[in-house]
Amino acid sequence: MYKAVILILTFLSACSSGPPADLQYIKQARSIAAEWALINNQAKADNLTSTYVVSMHQSLRENLQTAFDSLSDKHSSYGEQMNALLAERADAAPAELRARAEALKRIEDDLESA
Amino acid sequence: MNPLELTLGIMTAVGGFVDISELVFAAKAGSQFGYALIWVFALSTIGIIVFSEMSGRVAAVAKQPVFNLMRHRLGLKLGLVTLAASIVSNLITCAAEIGGVSLILNYLTGAPYALMAVAMTAILVISIWVLPFQWIERVYGLLGLFMIVFAAALVAIHPPWSQIAGGFVPQVPAGLSTKELLTFAYFAVAIISAVMFPYEVYFYSSGGIEEGWGPKDMLTNRLTSILGMALGSLLAISILANSAQLFGPVNVDPEIPGSAALEAAIPFGKWGLILALLGMLFAVAGAAVETCMANAYSIAQFFGWVWGRHKKPWEAPRFTIAWLILFMLALAIVLTGVDVMMLVEFAVLFSILVLPLTYLPLLLLAEDKKYMRQYANGPVAKTLGWIYFAIITAAAIAAVPLFMLTSGGNG
Amino acid sequence: MRLDSPIKLVSELVDLPLLDTEGKYCGIVDDIELSGRPGQDLELKALLVGPGAYEGRMPAWLMWLIKKVAGDRVTRVTMDEVQTISSVVHLKRTGGELGLHTSETEAGRWIPHKGAL
Repeated sequence: MYKAVILILTFLSACSSGPPADLQYIKQARSIAAEWALINNQAKADNLTSTYVVSMHQSLRENLQTAFDSLSDKHSSYGEQMNALLAERADAAPAELRARAEALKRIEDDLESA
Repeated sequence: MNPLELTLGIMTAVGGFVDISELVFAAKAGSQFGYALIWVFALSTIGIIVFSEMSGRVAAVAKQPVFNLMRHRLGLKLGLVTLAASIVSNLITCAAEIGGVSLILNYLTGAPYALMAVAMTAILVISIWVLPFQWIERVYGLLGLFMIVFAAALVAIHPPWSQIAGGFVPQVPAGLSTKELLTFAYFAVAIISAVMFPYEVYFYSSGGIEEGWGPKDMLTNRLTSILGMALGSLLAISILANSAQLFGPVNVDPEIPGSAALEAAIPFGKWGLILALLGMLFAVAGAAVETCMANAYSIAQFFGWVWGRHKKPWEAPRFTIAWLILFMLALAIVLTGVDVMMLVEFAVLFSILVLPLTYLPLLLLAEDKKYMRQYANGPVAKTLGWIYFAIITAAAIAAVPLFMLTSGGNG
Repeated sequence: MRLDSPIKLVSELVDLPLLDTEGKYCGIVDDIELSGRPGQDLELKALLVGPGAYEGRMPAWLMWLIKKVAGDRVTRVTMDEVQTISSVVHLKRTGGELGLHTSETEAGRWIPHKGAL
């Protein structure tokens, strides 16, 4: 019976790789990109302190890196989007960041409807 | 009644409702499901009011706090299991609060996270050492009221009030996929558990004894629990509603505590941001104090030690050593670098398991006329108490499977 | 309740906190001592307080752990030292006089007596 349980678990873990398993990280990256855009937008409107902006940029980047490192397929389309996002400057234009968020959202929606 | 007597309720509520988990949970709930989870906050608020009032009443009449009853009703073995689970849950939560405070200080000052963790723990220790209980609750409770900026922000952004009102009606949004439905269920269960965290009741009932409550304080107890918890709920719902209006439409699912402060920055600019961060700082610091003290109260009461901050630290030495060690352990957890939000998730899960064991002895004692005399539960308290006990038991059973199926609410 | 009236040992006595004449908590009724023989009246002789009194109420492995952490001290409080039993056990003397504050006193040596308002 134990062998059966181990086989089932191995099968299940093999099934949970690729896009379906990466969905939660794609969502995280999408959210991070959107929030980054929001922060940069608010910073341009002088609604935020510089200390807060720097700290938030750092936190968001760390979370994005963690999400990217957790991907099972880093060379996928979403992996490349996340890599490009990591390469962005901290003060990147909000429109550019929103575009990346929207691209990730499209991938996310496609995976969820599949 | 002296208005300052309400500060126990305010501190419990603000520190209980808007601790680090609510700051992110409420914001996430709003961004993902709009106003659809408001009713869960409202439902849970009634539950925590019912049990807080009960625990305060028991403290005032039977002159016993919750954990004394725990051991007496459950016996030594089951009581030890409950104590151990409670210690683990509260310790992890305390670590999450210290981590949260350190992050907030980082947002305010830019100072390194680890340094802020050590500094903040030192400040918390000193404040509990130096200040008598009433001043502990007044300082953290009243300063936590900076959180009102979130309610003000909600008014300022002109939200659809009819939709917010609609959120108070129990509902499940239409058209959700199976996964989204499970995530919705997970959020509902997690909100119930987080709002009704056992440490709030431990702290509140012990606080009632620290305040020297007696049968004459029934009205104070009732008002404190109702107004205090209602205020906390209002603040949490404001954060949810702000998020629904500001984050949801732009695809932001807030994952870090600092995101919530944007809700006040958007309408009010830098001053809104600073007030929000200060409110978060004191609310989360208050929660750190509550969780640590709740643990120390639990241990001291379970073993029959002298306890309480109405005594000087050297008059209750084992109790003092307990809360000092607990703070050090929580700080050690933070300094391992573990993610604050991961601590929060595990704290919520552990707490769910403890909830039924916490509230059952309280319910039984509050109904016992031998101890409570004419102050025993009336039909309303009895009915609500058992209904909520059924709800939290169901939540306890559902929580772990839902956590695993939804990857902790991340879908 | 009166001390000569019937008492439910589990639900009305064991695991109750003890309160001395100074209003200080001094432990929990961890176990009880009975006297009597089969066929005779059972009499409650003393309350047992301390980690050593968990013996018999805990599995052996857990008792081993408890002894390592907290020791196996037991303090015996005879029934004539008990004033009343309600939601707590009220004692007739102070915890110090009954030997119930030993651990508290030892712990107190580590706490500086300054700084608190």
